[in-house]
Amino acid sequence: MIGIVVVSHSRALAKAAVALALDMVPGTRPPVAVAAGLDETTLGTDASAIAEAITEVDSPEGVLIFLDLGSAILSAEMALEFIDPEVAARVRISPAPLVEGLVAAVVTAAGGAGVQVVEATALAGLRAKEEHLGLPAPVAVVAEAAVEGPEFRLELVSPAPIGLHLRPVSLIAGALGAFDADVMIGTDDHEPVHADSMIELQTLGAGPGVALHVTATGPDAQAAIAALQELAARNFGEQ
Amino acid sequence: MQVTVSAVAAWMTSFADVVHANAAYLTELDSAIGDADHGANLDRGMKAVVALDASTFDSASAYLKKAGMTLVSTVGGASGPLYGTLFMRIGAALPADGEVTPAILGDALQAGLDGIVARGKALVGDKTMVDALTPAIDAYRGAESQGVPAALAAAAKGAADGRDATIPLVARKGRASYLGERSAGHQDPGATSVTMLMESAAAMHVG
Repeated sequence: MIGIVVVSHSRALAKAAVALALDMVPGTRPPVAVAAGLDETTLGTDASAIAEAITEVDSPEGVLIFLDLGSAILSAEMALEFIDPEVAARVRISPAPLVEGLVAAVVTAAGGAGVQVVEATALAGLRAKEEHLGLPAPVAVVAEAAVEGPEFRLELVSPAPIGLHLRPVSLIAGALGAFDADVMIGTDDHEPVHADSMIELQTLGAGPGVALHVTATGPDAQAAIAALQELAARNFGEQ
Repeated sequence: MQVTVSAVAAWMTSFADVVHANAAYLTELDSAIGDADHGANLDRGMKAVVALDASTFDSASAYLKKAGMTLVSTVGGASGPLYGTLFMRIGAALPADGEVTPAILGDALQAGLDGIVARGKALVGDKTMVDALTPAIDAYRGAESQGVPAALAAAAKGAADGRDATIPLVARKGRASYLGERSAGHQDPGATSVTMLMESAAAMHVG
């Protein structure tokens, strides 16, 4: 699982953002380290502290850094010069919005996704908000994987009582992250979206009882469909 | 000439004193176009630098590198990584035995400026400390043949001219860039503090 570092001027802000994000993943969580503030209350960023945080959560699969603004960027770049170049080579600094990017990243990483998929999902972190507020949707940043083999289909019903809200969406995206499969979910009113992206799933706006059309392709397509069936049998974690 | 640990430590102490005396002024400049923390941040960082025990360093190079690291961890704002990079690069460019010519010292200052530009990606005219440091080093180069004291005096004058020239500029980097046109008419705090740094060096009559 990849490691995640949160860099902010404010320790309180970083800790709260991490708590908000980790709330989305009930099971196995990716390692998350905070490098924020000069102490509990003094605002500021510290390249040495960021370097320590990277080392703390370092993983062969990569490390993704989320940050707020200004000196956070300079300090994070400087931190990469303080650490082992071999480690630095697998660290990426994300330009994604801190809160939305972190939430998307923690959920996607918990599903076992690699650093590139996590980074792309985080970068699309504003999409649900933009779509809700009627802004034109940007070009999808989750890369289309080339898939071969037969296509599997599944018809599901969006869970009661709240539909594809944050919790079921995080379960779906999290479960699918482990499979090498291209899984799409669409409704009668919305074109299919990538089911391993909680951000995209939220844009479906599927209320309770709405029909969900699932297609899956790729080596693990059948297993991915089975995982979704199992989630549906448990009403996506809803009571 | 010899650049000793005690000479560099005295330079840092002098700069720290000036920053402390002008902390409110620097913060006031920053409050006009930034987040009103430059004076307080740099004051905190330089106090930590002055607290270093100079006697534990065997070269000016090692001392300056440690001073840079200290700023990185104590300033908090963008001036931490920027001043930190400046001192670390100057330190790295100084020979371990401290024996320098005016040209070698000029190269070290240039290495510091190059480090700041690489770190902050600001160019001349963006209304940053680069606007004071660039003419300072140009002036140093112009006076280099007259020896280090004269070159540093020229650098201080060049920095002050560059600092004054930031007033009409529209900020294109840092927090001030959020203000756009409204940043014009204010002197840049970073250009102001780095001018203090060059003036502190000139006032020491090193050499």
